[in-house]
Amino acid sequence: MKFNDLFAGLVVLALSGLVASASWNLPNPSEQPLGPSAFPLILAGLLGFCALILAVNGARATDAGPLVGLADWTRNRGAVLRLLLVPAAVIFYMLFAETLGFLICATAILVVLFLVGGTRSLHAVAMALAAALVIHSIFYLGLGVQLPWGRSNPCAGKPPCSTPM
Amino acid sequence: MLDAYVTALGMVLDPYVLFVITASAIYGLVVGCIPGLSATMATALLVPLTFFMPPVPPIAAIVTTSTMAIFSGDIPGCLLRIPGTPASAAYVDDSYRMTQQGKPELALGIGLWFSVLGGLFGTAVMMVASPAIADFALGFGSVEFFWIVMLGLGGAVFIGSSTPLKACISLLIGLMIAMIGMNNPAGQPRFTFDSTEMLGGVSLIPMMVGMFACSEVMRHMISDGGAPQVVVKKIGPIFANMWRLTKQYPWQLIRGSAMGTVIGIQPGSGADMAAWMSYAMSKRFSKEPEKFGTGHPEGLIEAGASNNSSLAGAWIPALVFGIPGDSITAIAIGVLMMKNMSPGPTIFVNNPENVYALFLVFVIANLLMLPLGWAIIKIATRVLSVPRRILMPIILLFAIVGSYAINNSLFDVGVMLAFGVLAFVLEENDFPVAPVILGVVLGPLLEEYFINSMIKSDGSLIGLVNRPIAAVLAAITVGIIGWTILVSIRGSKAGKPAAQE
Repeated sequence: MKFNDLFAGLVVLALSGLVASASWNLPNPSEQPLGPSAFPLILAGLLGFCALILAVNGARATDAGPLVGLADWTRNRGAVLRLLLVPAAVIFYMLFAETLGFLICATAILVVLFLVGGTRSLHAVAMALAAALVIHSIFYLGLGVQLPWGRSNPCAGKPPCSTPM
Repeated sequence: MLDAYVTALGMVLDPYVLFVITASAIYGLVVGCIPGLSATMATALLVPLTFFMPPVPPIAAIVTTSTMAIFSGDIPGCLLRIPGTPASAAYVDDSYRMTQQGKPELALGIGLWFSVLGGLFGTAVMMVASPAIADFALGFGSVEFFWIVMLGLGGAVFIGSSTPLKACISLLIGLMIAMIGMNNPAGQPRFTFDSTEMLGGVSLIPMMVGMFACSEVMRHMISDGGAPQVVVKKIGPIFANMWRLTKQYPWQLIRGSAMGTVIGIQPGSGADMAAWMSYAMSKRFSKEPEKFGTGHPEGLIEAGASNNSSLAGAWIPALVFGIPGDSITAIAIGVLMMKNMSPGPTIFVNNPENVYALFLVFVIANLLMLPLGWAIIKIATRVLSVPRRILMPIILLFAIVGSYAINNSLFDVGVMLAFGVLAFVLEENDFPVAPVILGVVLGPLLEEYFINSMIKSDGSLIGLVNRPIAAVLAAITVGIIGWTILVSIRGSKAGKPAAQE
């Protein structure tokens, strides 16, 4: 996604407006001359000013493409799909880590990303499993951090083998 | 002071700390060597691990990793003409030309040897200068600190950046992100959208990991990224000519180290700017400027020393005033705050042994670079052929787990993703990302200093400039900002007729 400066400036201007309106009525319990709304209001003012200059510069520019253009890589459908896999993988982890457990989720994410990268399937599975186990050991054994075990795992709820250093 | 140094030495020579230093050294060398993985990303990924350690090992880990990564960024620059980190870009032509001439060991040897010397020079300056500046700064009040933070932020936005306006917007967005939560002088919840998770503000670690690691993975996904082909088969003896070169170019070494340290001290300009400016300076004063870019050692020596000395220089304002010189020190300051070691002049009074331990880690890291750097150069051709399509998914998984581990919270994983997407969109549209992180780290301080100063002066703005040091700092800040605006207005006027032709 490629915004031209006029569009980017307008978006930022809207953001500064939102921040200003949200901070306008913040309560000032201690009755200080400058309450909690003062600093955000100053920032919002500065941001709005910068955004305005950006928008004006963008509107004046003769060589600025369309308001919202597409970068070169967006024409490559594979690249777009690969890019979308990143948030998809993170959201998958957030949704299923507690039910499936870290090991299953991590291995699944890695297998998919390896395969998309062009690794052969047997290699991908082996490396995904190994990497998930290594990362799990670093956090669980090395640092004493509980990663989600998943609902059905017998290890769930047991304390880590070593305490944090 | 000597007692504190002895205590610090004891802390650093602890086997656990030494293990952390060695492990981070190897990690930094490998990550810096792989093109597309920056020193900043290496440091950001390390932070979740350091969260669970006592104060000294995390600092040791960050210092060592960044020092090593800045050096080893020279390796792919020399062998593939792809700088491993931006700091190596300035002299990549010279070093790659040496490789083409069949002398990769000369270019890599210069990179290693003069990085070590430059790093030690910067460390020496830091050890002498920062306690002295801190001593002077002990008398500063909130007004002086307000202007120092302003100076730091202004420098970051207006000096180190090619697009000051966009950098300014990035910075303001960062400052606004810092407003989220209850961490403000009035203790009022702000911009929390009634979510309890947001009351404590945006957690710094998931944010950094998202901005510097997750966004990097996303950028890799839209590139074709296979492993680059290494043509060099054998690398000869590395240290063979170094002593001769040191005697031949002593001035270049000293000038590069000094320049690097000064640029590092100045907020907002880091190792990459140090390397560019030193390379230009070296060419300007050289007796044989026509040889630059053709595999000539002179510029390599000066810029190679410069980028490593700037790392130590950047720690001076970071330690004394809590102002980061670049994104790596911004991350480091975040870590120090989490360890209840908020930087500032009082850190030299309250925790001198921790500060001296940091100095010693710098010395050790630079010395350790000689043997470990030699080893990484010897196996470099194999490290370079590790495919990034394998590394990037693992980095993503590490980013997820690292963000989760801090609070065992899936919300933080979401924060990581959100900031990864934000950084990706910003960079796609030429907004620099480093000012955002500076804004988030310095935002709460800036507000606190500002509000305290205003309360002291009963809300009058004169209170910000009626003390002599504050007035001088204010003048410098306004000068930098005004000068940049003037230059950019002139530049746009001068640029227009040319564009119409």
